Amino acid sequence: MTKSLGFLLGTMALMIFGGCAGSERGVAFRVALLTPGPITDQSWNSAAYAGLMRIKDSLGAQVSHIQTKTPAEFDENFRQYGASGYSLVFGHGFEFQEAAARVSPEYPNTIYVTTGGISMGKNLASMSFSFDEPSFLAGMIAASVSKSDIVGCLGGTELPPVKASFLAFRAGVHAVKPRATVITAFIGNWDDAAAGKEQALAQIGRGVDVIFQNADAAGLGVFQAARDSKSVYVVGSNSNQNEVAPRVTLGSVVIDLPHAFITVAREVKAKTFQARVIQFNTRSAVVRWVPNPATASLLSARAISMVDSVRATMLAGHFSLPAGR
Amino acid sequence: MSRARAWREALPVGAVAGALLLVAVVVLVSAGADLRTALSALWIGSLGSRYALLSATLVRATPLILLGLSVTLAFRAGVLNIGAEGQFIAGASAGGAVALATAAVLPGPVSLLVALTTGVVAGGVWAAVAAELRRRFGVLEVISTLMLNFIALYGVSYLVHGPLQEPTHVYPQSATLPMVARLPFVFDGQRLHVGFILAVLLGLALWYVFARTAAGFRIRITGAGAAAAASAGAVDTARVSFLAFIASGAIAGGAGAVEVTGVTYTLFERISPGYGYSAIAVALLARLHPVAVIGAGVFFGALEAGAAAMQRDAGVPSQFASILEALAILGVLAVDRLRARRQEAAP
Repeated sequence: MTKSLGFLLGTMALMIFGGCAGSERGVAFRVALLTPGPITDQSWNSAAYAGLMRIKDSLGAQVSHIQTKTPAEFDENFRQYGASGYSLVFGHGFEFQEAAARVSPEYPNTIYVTTGGISMGKNLASMSFSFDEPSFLAGMIAASVSKSDIVGCLGGTELPPVKASFLAFRAGVHAVKPRATVITAFIGNWDDAAAGKEQALAQIGRGVDVIFQNADAAGLGVFQAARDSKSVYVVGSNSNQNEVAPRVTLGSVVIDLPHAFITVAREVKAKTFQARVIQFNTRSAVVRWVPNPATASLLSARAISMVDSVRATMLAGHFSLPAGR
Repeated sequence: MSRARAWREALPVGAVAGALLLVAVVVLVSAGADLRTALSALWIGSLGSRYALLSATLVRATPLILLGLSVTLAFRAGVLNIGAEGQFIAGASAGGAVALATAAVLPGPVSLLVALTTGVVAGGVWAAVAAELRRRFGVLEVISTLMLNFIALYGVSYLVHGPLQEPTHVYPQSATLPMVARLPFVFDGQRLHVGFILAVLLGLALWYVFARTAAGFRIRITGAGAAAAASAGAVDTARVSFLAFIASGAIAGGAGAVEVTGVTYTLFERISPGYGYSAIAVALLARLHPVAVIGAGVFFGALEAGAAAMQRDAGVPSQFASILEALAILGVLAVDRLRARRQEAAP
């Protein structure tokens, strides 16, 4: 009985403070973001958060962010945002597609966009990034820098966009050194930096001297491993990660997520948005290879000119991945 | 109870609640949150709106109540089953697998019933492993159940990457249950499913068993002092704790099957984001009283739903819920201690 009194006291205190949210309903342009991991990963999630902040600053939107872990939470929060009348909700990852497809029909006034994926519905769209072009360039660079001719790919989990990017990277490696070995491994999650470091050290132990990482917060461990080892280099992804560990980073396969986010948000705000799969590629400059000037001296003039000529064909729209793995 | 006595009882509770509130506010402020926005989000996102209550708080509370009851039953019988997590996962996996397999061939309600029963049995079997190890070899259940949690965790991981993976083999999760194999909702347009009602009924039933039946009495005295219970009368304490252990696992397994058929509709690796461990806190907060477990489960559910709302509306880190939960348990311990000291002081 006395315990319920405790609850009562707590509840009453909250009631006194409570009672003003939801007063600004309806009028404002409100945008929400669900990330699968922490926004401090200096990669996938922090870039999305930067996008959200840009939407807030340049479109004057009211914004909200939540970190979600399980599909049940994706569902719950998609619904929450729909029910509270948000105009635009980003599910930041391929893995949000199913929940978005399930929830979106119930909240027709909210537009759901997943980053990555191919879903489409009345108020459901996805942004698709041609990650393979810059990944191919990264592969060429990695092969040029590698001395052991063994390079590694290290991902979070086996999501299709990540696998596709690794395949393109491998093709890029083989375009320069047809006999090089590419070792691919997945950490099993996106947030355990210690596990990321462990996996990276395991690859280094097998002779890998360049690692292409795409593991968000877990990937930060890869940079640590490279810093602790001698002459091992990392290729970053999603954000410009050249500053994470400048001395060991060759460059980053960057998605300009803030640019992509604001492009979509602008359309939604202007009410010109059409549900579709929104393609971003090298030509739209949203996806690109960003070399790290601090390690530029590792590249030979020949490698640089080779990369430049391939990039030129990409910009001209004539590039396609070589067939075969 | 006289008024003066009631005051004396309420005083430590009030003091502790006040201290907790203060700590919570300090944590919020130091996290850089706008206090008014944050607390208002906490309230509206947990109990202060119909949608939050029926689509978030009580949905989150359901597994916590069921698992809290599972822990309560075991602890009352003197069995330190900390394997509710693994038993929940076992029930979710088996229940989910059976629901997927039978949904197409059996009528919806039958398939659902079979799935829930399978979950209960699977949870019981998972606990029975540890129960048998304890009875036969005296293996400490704290260790065996904890180990079995990890086996269950890796087991489900194998299943969703292997035999139970969805047809496109892209996501590490099972196929989605068809509509007919899902638990019905209590209200239209809200996520609350009938599993919550089951949880409440089970809480009341367990209270009745403890308070009014001979079996309940045997469980309680076994837990209170197995040696005394055995020597004083005809209580086979080994048998009582063995059966209570398995029943505790069965409840946890049922909770897993309820979660899959009522909330997630699919099986995946993190089907339990630590419910089995939170449930120990729920049971302790309720001082192992089955009806209080319902309240404590709703309290934790509200905290977690409210914490999500605070993250959405005020940018408060989601770990805040864990801090509040820990504070609540510390609070209960503090109140208990204060009471005990007063009783010692009293003649």
